Amino acid sequence: MMKALKGFALPVLLLVLWQIWATVAGIHSDTLAAPVDIAVAFVKGFSDGTILSATGMTLTAAAGGLLIGAGLGIVSGFVFGLLPPLSRLSRVTVEVLRPVPAVAILPIALLVFGFGYAMEMAIIAFACFFPVMLLTESAIRQITPRLMEVARVMRLTATQRTFKIVFPAVLPRLFLALRLAAGIALIVSVTVEISANPQGLGYSLMMAGQSLRPADMFAILFWIGLIGWALNWVLVRTELKLFPFHALRRAAE
Amino acid sequence: MTATLHQFERNFEDAPRAAAKTGRKPLISLKGVGLSFGSHEVLQDINVDIGEGEFVCVIGPSGCGKTTLLRILSGLIQASRGTVSYRGKAQTEPASDIAIVFQDYANALLPWRTASQNISLALEAAATPRAERKDRIAHLLEKVGLSKHADKYPSEMSGGMQQRLQIARCLAQNPSVILMDEPFGALDAMTRQKLQDEILAIVSESNVTAFFVTHDLEEAIYLADRVIALEPNPGRIAELIDVPLARPRNQLTTREEPEFLALRRKLFDFVLRYE
Amino acid sequence: MMRPINLLWLAASFLVTLALLALWQWIANHGYVSKVFLPGPDRAFAALTRDYSSGKLFTEVGQTVLRMALGWLVASAIGIGLGAAIGISPFARTWIAPTFEFIRPLPASAIAPVAIVFLGMTDNMILLLIAFGSVWPMLLTTIHGFSNVHPRLDEVARVLRLNRFERVYKIALPAAMPDILGGLRLGLTIALILAVVGEMITVQGGLGSRILLAARGFRAPDIFAGVIMLGLIGLATNVALTALERRLLRWQPAPAT
Repeated sequence: MMKALKGFALPVLLLVLWQIWATVAGIHSDTLAAPVDIAVAFVKGFSDGTILSATGMTLTAAAGGLLIGAGLGIVSGFVFGLLPPLSRLSRVTVEVLRPVPAVAILPIALLVFGFGYAMEMAIIAFACFFPVMLLTESAIRQITPRLMEVARVMRLTATQRTFKIVFPAVLPRLFLALRLAAGIALIVSVTVEISANPQGLGYSLMMAGQSLRPADMFAILFWIGLIGWALNWVLVRTELKLFPFHALRRAAE
Repeated sequence: MTATLHQFERNFEDAPRAAAKTGRKPLISLKGVGLSFGSHEVLQDINVDIGEGEFVCVIGPSGCGKTTLLRILSGLIQASRGTVSYRGKAQTEPASDIAIVFQDYANALLPWRTASQNISLALEAAATPRAERKDRIAHLLEKVGLSKHADKYPSEMSGGMQQRLQIARCLAQNPSVILMDEPFGALDAMTRQKLQDEILAIVSESNVTAFFVTHDLEEAIYLADRVIALEPNPGRIAELIDVPLARPRNQLTTREEPEFLALRRKLFDFVLRYE
Repeated sequence: MMRPINLLWLAASFLVTLALLALWQWIANHGYVSKVFLPGPDRAFAALTRDYSSGKLFTEVGQTVLRMALGWLVASAIGIGLGAAIGISPFARTWIAPTFEFIRPLPASAIAPVAIVFLGMTDNMILLLIAFGSVWPMLLTTIHGFSNVHPRLDEVARVLRLNRFERVYKIALPAAMPDILGGLRLGLTIALILAVVGEMITVQGGLGSRILLAARGFRAPDIFAGVIMLGLIGLATNVALTALERRLLRWQPAPAT
């Protein structure tokens, strides 16, 4: 507890210094705002609903894209994991497609879908697909042959094997894959909104910057950071709750 | 307990006493050494002198502070009470001629260095000129039987080989004292016996003083001139037992000698009391 | 080095990729998907060769790679230097490191608008964006690597009486190397993404600007040509870093599969 408090010391100190500097120097700038002004903008953004509606758009796009990308990723991960020849045959294709930066397909998505949710979700789905697929595949590969032998010795049926051995063994790593993908989805959605799609938090952030409202800009930036942090915190907590035995091994992560 | 001790001493009255070896000043001397973490007392009132060239083994049930005692001797940690002196001076930090063989060789070796380079680390630390290092390393590798594996990484070596490598690195320090913390605990029985004999050969050849922590009672008797038996809660010396067995020792005949068996029985009785 | 059977699989896998390309060509030729969206690989390839012969391709790839590399190098220097300093100091680990944990989940591209306000739509803005975004993984993995040296190695260093410099240089740095390399790899991936994002926003040249302009002009072959180049850059940097890792981490036991 004490240790966690110490972690807050530096950010608080920096904020206070920033505020003091802003007050003393009396900045009325197009680029910077004092923490207090940012807080006011933050509250105002919430009370007039602009931040909330933008958040809704961003999170909808992120969730939709995540659902599609991770869903396809899990299915193909299972297929490749259970059928190694198929996985080996697709290796070159996967290795060639995987390093394509997700934002690079933005223009293609733009061409196909125009502005809006569909285009944003397509890019998010593309970004989430590969990590989830690869992690799922390796999760299935890592079910030790010993465990399958145990299943065979116990004479479990195929269904029993799937539900009693494969799923429980794969689930913790699957959740890890989803957690990483959720982070990616949020990052990509904001990125797409900043660079092209005129909706959501990324666009609000860009507009605040362009129309020289630094207080609004920093308020939204802070809010995006908070969402990212909260998302990660919740997912890590859930993971620890659901799979404590597995979490131990990755404590170093 | 004291009854058995006296019994034992009568049986071996004619044994060469370790004390006789130490007509000179002791090399290492512990006086009233104790250690506490907060209110928890780990070691209490340890008094023992270790002479030059002596081979001392420490045994005792788990939690009796064997390893902690070794760490205090090495200077890695400081006693809360009492004095530890080495060559008459207070031992406050690791000395360059005291080497430690850790039990977990896999963690104690540098995994990114080959066998030769791991030995080289000790020479680098002692600022040995580059030109001399090569010969020294080759010599040390030969001594521990790893000449053929000079360029292997620890991950490519068996447990026994890794522990040999750690011993070689310790020898590169030209140590006067080697502290060993259950060095063979993780090895299989055959490898363990071989390494016991190698350690005895190395020790007698270079007249180093050895302080050897083990939970294997037979190993303690087989190696030692003297066994320190610790009892737990808090860790303190229960008995100091001389081992009057002749040297050089032999894995078959020494272990069959009546004195060996009697000592074995005695130590087993001692440890069983704390199970 | 590679067993013949594996080589065979690799060849088969290549054939599958070629077959997919042929499928793509077939779909495009028969107009199952509008040509506006999906040009055949032949047209994408034609766009590539056209730009190659005019030298435009080289300029654009060069701009993007240069930005990526510069931003990444700056981030590496800062990330590894600062990470090492924080990792070996318990004081900094307690008081400073948590602040980074707060900033890390912030999507790196979100600072683009802020950077634009300060630096405008310039080259330097793109560099700042790349450096800021890719510094986090390197910083955090380096801190992790330096602060997680096995305590036994620390004791070995003390027993051998290594000095402070030797401890960092001979023990901590190599011990942290796997973590650092992992951070470098992640950082490079992010650097490429942010280079493209930066170029898309600012339209300061490079592949990012090119594909966005191509999208606005409905020139699908140009988009695909650009995406192919970006994929190749990603692939090449990945291969290069994997080779570096292999070389520097030769000592690691082969991962159990």
